[in-house]
Amino acid sequence: MLKVSGLSTGYGKLQILRGIDLNVAEGGIVTLLGGNGTGKSTFLKALSGLLPVWEGSIEFDGQKIQNLPPHEIVRCGLTQVTQGKDAYPAMTVEENLKLGAYVRKDKIAIAEDLERVYSFFPRLLERRTQLAATLSGGEVQMLVIGRGLMARPKLLMLDEPSAALAPKIIMDIFATINRIRKSGVSILMVEQNVRMALLLAEYGYIIRDGVILIKGDAKDLINDPNVKKSFLGGTVANSTHEIKA
Amino acid sequence: MDFDFSSLFAFLLFGVTIGVVYGIVALGISLIYSGLDIVHFAHGEIYMFGAFFGLVFSHTMGFPYPVALLLAMVCAAVLGMGIERVFYRRLTKGGGGYTVAGMGMIICGFGMSIVLMNIAFLIWGAAAEPFPVDLGMPFQLGDITLPKSYALTAVVAVLLMAALHYFLKKTKLGLAVRAVAANKDIAYLMGINVPMMISLIFGLACGIAAAAGVLIGPMQSVQVEMGYLMLLKAFAAAVVGGFGSLPGAIAGGIVVGIAENLGAAYISPNHKDIYAFLLLILVLMIKPSGLFGIVARVKA
Amino acid sequence: MSIFNKNFIAAGMAGVFVAGMAASAMSADIRVGITMRMISENGQRYGQMVMDEIDMINESGGINGNMLKATLMNDECKSDKGVANAIKLINQQKVHILIGSTCSSVSLPIVDITEKAGVPQIIPHSTNDKITKKGSAWVFRVPVSGRYYAGVNAKYVGENIGKKIAYLCAADAASQNDCDAMQSQMKSQHGADPAYVAQVQEKEVDFRTHMQKIKSAGVDGIMIAALAETMARALTQSYEAGIPASVRRIGSSSASNSPVPSIAGDAAKGVFFAAAYAAADSRPIARLFNEMVKKRYGVNSPDHDFSQAYDLVRITEIALKNADLKLDDENLAADRTAIRDAIANVKDYNGLASGPISFCAAATPQCRDGNRTAVLIAYTKGGKDYKTEVLARVTMPIDFGL
Repeated sequence: MLKVSGLSTGYGKLQILRGIDLNVAEGGIVTLLGGNGTGKSTFLKALSGLLPVWEGSIEFDGQKIQNLPPHEIVRCGLTQVTQGKDAYPAMTVEENLKLGAYVRKDKIAIAEDLERVYSFFPRLLERRTQLAATLSGGEVQMLVIGRGLMARPKLLMLDEPSAALAPKIIMDIFATINRIRKSGVSILMVEQNVRMALLLAEYGYIIRDGVILIKGDAKDLINDPNVKKSFLGGTVANSTHEIKA
Repeated sequence: MDFDFSSLFAFLLFGVTIGVVYGIVALGISLIYSGLDIVHFAHGEIYMFGAFFGLVFSHTMGFPYPVALLLAMVCAAVLGMGIERVFYRRLTKGGGGYTVAGMGMIICGFGMSIVLMNIAFLIWGAAAEPFPVDLGMPFQLGDITLPKSYALTAVVAVLLMAALHYFLKKTKLGLAVRAVAANKDIAYLMGINVPMMISLIFGLACGIAAAAGVLIGPMQSVQVEMGYLMLLKAFAAAVVGGFGSLPGAIAGGIVVGIAENLGAAYISPNHKDIYAFLLLILVLMIKPSGLFGIVARVKA
Repeated sequence: MSIFNKNFIAAGMAGVFVAGMAASAMSADIRVGITMRMISENGQRYGQMVMDEIDMINESGGINGNMLKATLMNDECKSDKGVANAIKLINQQKVHILIGSTCSSVSLPIVDITEKAGVPQIIPHSTNDKITKKGSAWVFRVPVSGRYYAGVNAKYVGENIGKKIAYLCAADAASQNDCDAMQSQMKSQHGADPAYVAQVQEKEVDFRTHMQKIKSAGVDGIMIAALAETMARALTQSYEAGIPASVRRIGSSSASNSPVPSIAGDAAKGVFFAAAYAAADSRPIARLFNEMVKKRYGVNSPDHDFSQAYDLVRITEIALKNADLKLDDENLAADRTAIRDAIANVKDYNGLASGPISFCAAATPQCRDGNRTAVLIAYTKGGKDYKTEVLARVTMPIDFGL
């Protein structure tokens, strides 16, 4: 579905990514892991077209999409969900969701999808006329994910859906991500919460200083002593939470 | 000067009717500001071009006044979009507001104002052109005579406000415009064609400025240099009403208009523009977000 | 081939050189420097008319066999540009006489330059009193000084209209000057204090609050001192405010400019102002002049700026004819002095101007403000095809306003 090969990019003259190769298969969840400042978000920006691709290619759904304008990439079915703080605070919940469906013209299907998002996140239905600024951190994260779904994407890219959230809420969010995958949407998830992400994903990449350091099946990586030692640190890796599918 | 209460209503009325014109221009300035975080310093000249377009359509080509008003708005919108596409886009791509590119954009605005003034000078010359429009007998409100052009201006201002409000709050395109105004990167991720929306914002703002130009035509002559004073007043209106707030722009214009006229009537008749800028300074000191502004507009 | 060419060029150059020498031995150029405001359409036409008249003098044989060589520069009515022009004309072009400028704010600083350099300066249309009060022996004013204008206006207003006058004064220098002078004349001639005074921006749009206050003050007349477009706007709004036509509208000197009647339309009717020339003048010289201006420059009813520019060329012509000029480099200073003295000797020149123009030798306003007669002109019809009439013609005492 998504095939990235030899991707290099950066900001201005500063190179961040150096030849990234990454694939996402249809219907799967792939996670890209790494600490702060390793280039995870930069990678998503390059995929979305917000950053120019210096070298390499991005093939999505059989089509080369590198250096297309961002709004056209969205129309191809590749939607990025940014972190929760990127909801539009001065707009209502429903306006935010409707913006997600901006590229679509099918009014009836949009209305159906709105219902579907509300069924995923009943909290949003309760708050549909409130300004996004009034939502809690977890609710905003639900909102941006819901907004991404409104585009009816083939591939949903999630940028740290667990960032700055309480463990209980992280569980809810991850459970929902799993449900979304089951509804037929492929997912590329960037995370710092390595253990949780690997429990959910089928395949994982670990990025550091703009290069892919380790890649492999999620269940292998989770037990890989190198991964444990180098990236997982203490608490999160030892988390015993299980994800309820 | 003794306190002339009997004319108070007249002074208020004068303030409101000229204030809405400031407000209409301020509406465009606020729209561009909320969209791009820049103050468009060539907006006074767009207003001037609008007035000349109106003059050409209504007098040279003989269209009825309301049609000339609409055509002038369309032409100014096209002009504004053209300027944005050809000149401003290179700069706004780098970001607006307090960035280096934003600074460049402000200077570019000043330059554009001079360029536009000179183009207008080449086309229409320096001489002021009368823009008489026969709207019929003025309204007689007791002792006060109110020419219909002023009443029309107030009506159009309210209509423009309402139309803009409807557009921004109730339509999908308006939603997209607001999204671009709030956060361009996220707007891109929604699949919104951001450069096109910025063009649209410019076009709208310039069309609105043209409306003000055509509306003020019957009240004064149309002249190449008419823009800068209007820009200053509109800027004051926008700040007083809360920069970036659209209802605030119109309200700010009215407040500025009333302040000027009451100041001239009851404090000192000399240099009534001072009251506009005095008010501007007071508002910036006491309530920098403007009288009707949203407190520090939240940006993602 | 190439040798031939070189010789040919050398011979040609020698020929030109000899011819130039011969010309300078027999007759030389009288160098005339001109700095004027050339920004408005009419401004350009005044400049053009001065140049055209000088060409015609040359075509009919020049001044005592000498040609006039004129350099016209644009000062845009800005003092710094005018000063730079004057310095350039005096020091580089080494002009014998300087004509300029249109605007008082430009003419004033140039007075100091011409005095220091010892160059006669003759002014086409600046009205500020101070120009001749500086005491320069080198300056001559063809138009009517502001001190006479205000006097004429105030005399007429006090005697025929009334003493309760409201003033709207725009912030430009000329209008401020006119406004202040009128107020002080109303005070000194009639003991009348202003009924209402408001200073406004030069490009002011909205005068309605002022008009409302003037209306409730119940005045006899309103003086609107502003540049043409602003004046036109104020006139229109004075009628919108419901101030009746029986309250007379008095214009400042810019009221003579054609945008006033053409923009204000019907609101210009009845507005009157003091000027140095009336297009409605019935003398044959005026009729001929009107026809000439219409034919050459397409201007109906030329204002006094045209007539003054024309009179100025005639006076300069008379003075140059009477001056004994050597026209070589050693005698530049002597020639300049001779021209100055010749202008000072012009007496009772009767041209287009409202009254005879006379100069004399002393460096005083009495000697150097040439014209002390003003006509009061009123618009009888507004619009592009406006019409005027002469209300009165008033000559003031020579010491008036000093």
